Amino acid sequence: MKRKIKIISPIALAAIFLPAVVSADDQDIVEYREHIMKTLDEQSAAVGMILSTVVPGDNMAAHLQAIALTAQTALKSFEPKVLGGEARPEVWNNWADFSKRMNDFAKNTALVAAQAKGKRSDDPELGEAVVDALSCKSCHDAYRKEKK
Amino acid sequence: MMRWSYFSIGCVVIVAAMVATSVRADDQDVIDYRVHIMKTLDEQAAAISQILEHKAPADNFTTHVQILAITAATAKKAFEPKVLGGEAKPEVWSHWADFAKRLDDLTAATADLANTAKAGGVAAAAPKVQTALACKSCHELYVEKKK
Repeated sequence: MKRKIKIISPIALAAIFLPAVVSADDQDIVEYREHIMKTLDEQSAAVGMILSTVVPGDNMAAHLQAIALTAQTALKSFEPKVLGGEARPEVWNNWADFSKRMNDFAKNTALVAAQAKGKRSDDPELGEAVVDALSCKSCHDAYRKEKK
Repeated sequence: MMRWSYFSIGCVVIVAAMVATSVRADDQDVIDYRVHIMKTLDEQAAAISQILEHKAPADNFTTHVQILAITAATAKKAFEPKVLGGEAKPEVWSHWADFAKRLDDLTAATADLANTAKAGGVAAAAPKVQTALACKSCHELYVEKKK
C-alpha cells in the first residue's frame, strides 16, 4: 500500500503542477500581446488629444511612427492560439480575416506615419488620413471582448 | 438694487465656476497626455523584459526598442507645462534641470540601444538594456506611485 502511494504521489504532483506551468506560459503570451495592444491604445489616445488640439502637436509624427511600428509587432503576438485577456476566440477561428486586418492596419499606419513627416499636426489632410488609419472599432467589434 | 446685487454675484460665481472648470480640464489633458507617454514606455519596457526572459518570441525585439527610443524622445515635451498631478512629484518642476537632463539621457541611451539592436539584434543589445532602462533612480525621485 505504501508503495502504491509512492507511485501515485509523483503523478498527483505532476497533475497539480502541470496546469500551473502551462497556464504560466499562456499568461505570458496573453500579457505580451496586451503590452502591444495597450501601447496602441496609449499612442492613439495621445494622437487623439493632438487632433482635438487639447495638447500641442510637436510629437504628432513621433506618435504616428510609434503606432506604425507597434502595429507591425501585433500580428506576431497573436500567432500562438492562447485564449484569454480581451481576445475573442474568433481571432483564431477567423485567422485569415484577423491577420488580413492586422496587416492592413500595419500598412495604413506606416503610410500615415510617412505622410506626417514634415507636416503640421493641424494639416486637415493629415487629420483625415489619421482618422482613417486608426479606425480600430470594426476590428474591435469583431475580435475584442472588452473587460468591464 | 438688492435683486441686481444677487444677480451680479450669481454671474460672478457662474463665470468663476466655468473658468475653474475649463482650467481643470486643460490641466487634466496635460496630465493625461504625459501619462499616455509614460505608460507606453512601461508597456514597451515590459515587452522587452519578457523577451529577455524568454517568455515571448524575440522577433519583435528590435522594433520594441525602436518604439521605446521614439517614445522617450517625446516625454520631455509632455512634462514642460508645470501642471502638478498624476504620479509626477512637484520635484519634476522644482528640479527641472536635473529632470530634463535625465530624460535627455534616457533618450540618448534608448536611441543608442535601438541602433545596437538594429545592427546586432538581441545578442548585441541585451547587455545594454539594463543600463539604458535604469528607470528606478529617476522614478524614486520624481514618481509618486499611486496605491
